[in-house]
Amino acid sequence: MVFNSYTFVVFFILLLVLHNLPLSWKTKKINLLVASYLFYALWNPPFILLLWLSTVVDYYMARLIAVSENKSKRKLWLTISLLLNLGMLSYFKYGGFLLENFTALLNTMGITYQAARPDIILPVGISFYTFVTLSYTIDIYRRKFAPEPSFLNFALFVTYFPHLVAGPIVRPEDLIPQFKQPRKATTNQVTWGLFLLSLGLFMKVAIADGWLAETADFIFGLPFPVNPLDAWMAVLAFSGQIFCDFAGYSTCAIGVSLCLGFTLPENFRYPYASIGFSDFWRRWHITLSTWLRDYLYIPLGGNRKSNIRTYLNLMITMLLGGLWHGASWNFVIWGGLHGIFLCIERLLRNLTTRHKTPVHESEVILRATILPVASRNLTNFLLALLTFLLINITWVFFRAKDFGSAMLMLLCMAGIIDQGPKMLSTPDMLKVGIVTVGLITTHWLMRDRDLRQVFSRLPWWLWGIIWAIMLILVALTQKSTSSFIYFQF
Amino acid sequence: MKASDNLKAGILAITLVLLFLTGWELYWRGRGFENSYNDDESLWASTRNKIYTTSPAQPVIIGSSRVKFDIDQHVWQKASGLQPVQLALVGTSPRPVLRDLGNDPDFKGTVLIGITESLFFAKDHSPMEGEANKRIEYYPKWSLSQKISFYINQILESGLIFLDTNRFSLNSLLKRLPIESRPGVFVFPNFPLEMNLTLPNRQEVFTNTSLSDTSVRDGIRYVWNYLGMTNPNIKGVSGDTLTQIFADVKQSVGKIKARGGNVFFLRMPSTGPVWVAEQACYPRKLYWDRLLQETKTDGIHFTDYASLSKYTCPDWSHLTPGDARIFTNDLIKVLEEKTGWTIKNPSVSSHL
Repeated sequence: MVFNSYTFVVFFILLLVLHNLPLSWKTKKINLLVASYLFYALWNPPFILLLWLSTVVDYYMARLIAVSENKSKRKLWLTISLLLNLGMLSYFKYGGFLLENFTALLNTMGITYQAARPDIILPVGISFYTFVTLSYTIDIYRRKFAPEPSFLNFALFVTYFPHLVAGPIVRPEDLIPQFKQPRKATTNQVTWGLFLLSLGLFMKVAIADGWLAETADFIFGLPFPVNPLDAWMAVLAFSGQIFCDFAGYSTCAIGVSLCLGFTLPENFRYPYASIGFSDFWRRWHITLSTWLRDYLYIPLGGNRKSNIRTYLNLMITMLLGGLWHGASWNFVIWGGLHGIFLCIERLLRNLTTRHKTPVHESEVILRATILPVASRNLTNFLLALLTFLLINITWVFFRAKDFGSAMLMLLCMAGIIDQGPKMLSTPDMLKVGIVTVGLITTHWLMRDRDLRQVFSRLPWWLWGIIWAIMLILVALTQKSTSSFIYFQF
Repeated sequence: MKASDNLKAGILAITLVLLFLTGWELYWRGRGFENSYNDDESLWASTRNKIYTTSPAQPVIIGSSRVKFDIDQHVWQKASGLQPVQLALVGTSPRPVLRDLGNDPDFKGTVLIGITESLFFAKDHSPMEGEANKRIEYYPKWSLSQKISFYINQILESGLIFLDTNRFSLNSLLKRLPIESRPGVFVFPNFPLEMNLTLPNRQEVFTNTSLSDTSVRDGIRYVWNYLGMTNPNIKGVSGDTLTQIFADVKQSVGKIKARGGNVFFLRMPSTGPVWVAEQACYPRKLYWDRLLQETKTDGIHFTDYASLSKYTCPDWSHLTPGDARIFTNDLIKVLEEKTGWTIKNPSVSSHL
């Protein structure tokens, strides 16, 4: 089920009513669990079995890890959990990809081999709930906390529908404590939750699907080169689309959850105002980047070892982070590019720190310039624009269907191929331009602000009008059933 | 912000949304528009579900807009007692759908294939196949959730005009803004808003306005001119490409026939400059006759029957609803004579 569907509207209204009936807390949690399974099953019922398997195995493995004092036994239980979760993920998500590459490798070695194309359907959200359950067993293994005694609480933590299929990737400490005590959403939480749901739908339906998807799909779907301006417009369109689609989903999820009285972690913080790539990953898909940091980068040694090792760890983390998004070399390249940019940034930072002048001296120089106050802001803004530009280049690999198409698009963008036809109409280009400027401006202005605080300062009638405009645009766009891009990951 | 302020903002938002949408709906009604259904992937998928019980009396119809306008499903149902399964897609080549039916081992029914040469004989992977491919990919993934949304949407669409995406969505209206496009860019022209309606059974009909208002009719003719449908100098595909198309169609037709199904081609009427251009670009001998010959399949060309060629299409390409009713009755008669199929059900038809 998707948030932007009539089915969800009916489901959510019924669930809100049920959740606010004078029932016991345990009954309410059972209702939520059943509703979450229903939310998932309405997509593809058989895959619910995988979810159950993952839930049951991890619940018991965590208990066994916790009670075992024997180190090798603890490792064994953890290995079973990892093998099951990563095995399922590998089979369903990477099975075809591995076979395809294995076949290509054999053919390169001169061995003629043609494997039957496996007909594997990817269960929705498997990458997300696999990471959710993995973090639980790994944290128990690290003795970060005791295993959750209640199977109901644990099952609800894994399956809770707002985060189930496309995040935010929750940690046990984010959610399980909230299930322990009875909770009821306050009026403030419900209204703010509904506002966030409306904002998320506006981002997804009106901006991502309504204004940008057509342009990005059209140009990226063409098998021939296009005019450089059209190529840039398509990439900018995708840049806006992927943000509004994914951040829209997270905003809906946080809003829906808040209406039920539960808080989910923030997943996006105005990423297109990032100054540098490390800042970008503190603002884009925050729950994934922190997961990769805590369960991959730091265990690899993080920055605690040699410089070379730190760069290597960064690259490994980003390459695997790229592969997490999909079984394709393009995602690996996308992750690799982010890794390279992070390494360059780190290298530059190390170099500048080594030659850094005292703070007071730089302040004096700054104040002596013609535009003393604006210059730092301007520099930061220009750096943010440069980061945005580089991020757009990486999006080409994320969106293009294969390496050849990505390179073709990059050659067009660079003007090396400049004879391609003009394909986009003026209104289509205007839409992309308006959204891009709007996104950069909003992200820059909101960079260090909190949305809730900004709205709390607005008069209620202005907030109401903004809210109404978003809902009206959602109703007028009418793309009610298209799924979110991140469902395929 | 106080809780009461939050609540006030929410109530104001809902009030403004309801007021706007009511005004929006009344505005379009006031301009004389009627209900029309979105001919989207879900409506196609719900129709595709019905192909497994088909027979000559209840055929699957594939093709493009002409069979959607010209075969009146209500008249057909009155005659046979069964409603045809309308899978044709406007502006789309039916070849991907034919391939899909050919590859479905459970399909053993009857297919009527509408031939509009410029679409049917379009090259593989051309934009003319886009909508068909989108729907064929969508159908097996049509989830329970999407089905429920579709049925709720149908209820809403039956009462609210502004939910017609093709005409009144924000994007559709923005495309109609008089903004001049960049030179050298092909922009698909807009059909007049008043042109036609889509019924829940996927039947297309001209609106009363489009039949009575010559500016609407001229607007449609302008689109045909713009798309080159009246240009007799745009030659159709030939050589290996055409041979490959015939081979592809023959294979799909063969698969359906091998399972006991029936296939039949239909060339629906076109008139005026469109018909003149079609004769020049797609000579009957090279395309229609060869199609029947290569696939060893029978067909009806409207020019071969006085009862089917007596019409004048107001836009040169489709029949009026009134003409479509008579045409459908005559088509059933010709089909029965030519194939020996029993389409009319006397117990139903006698009550007409």
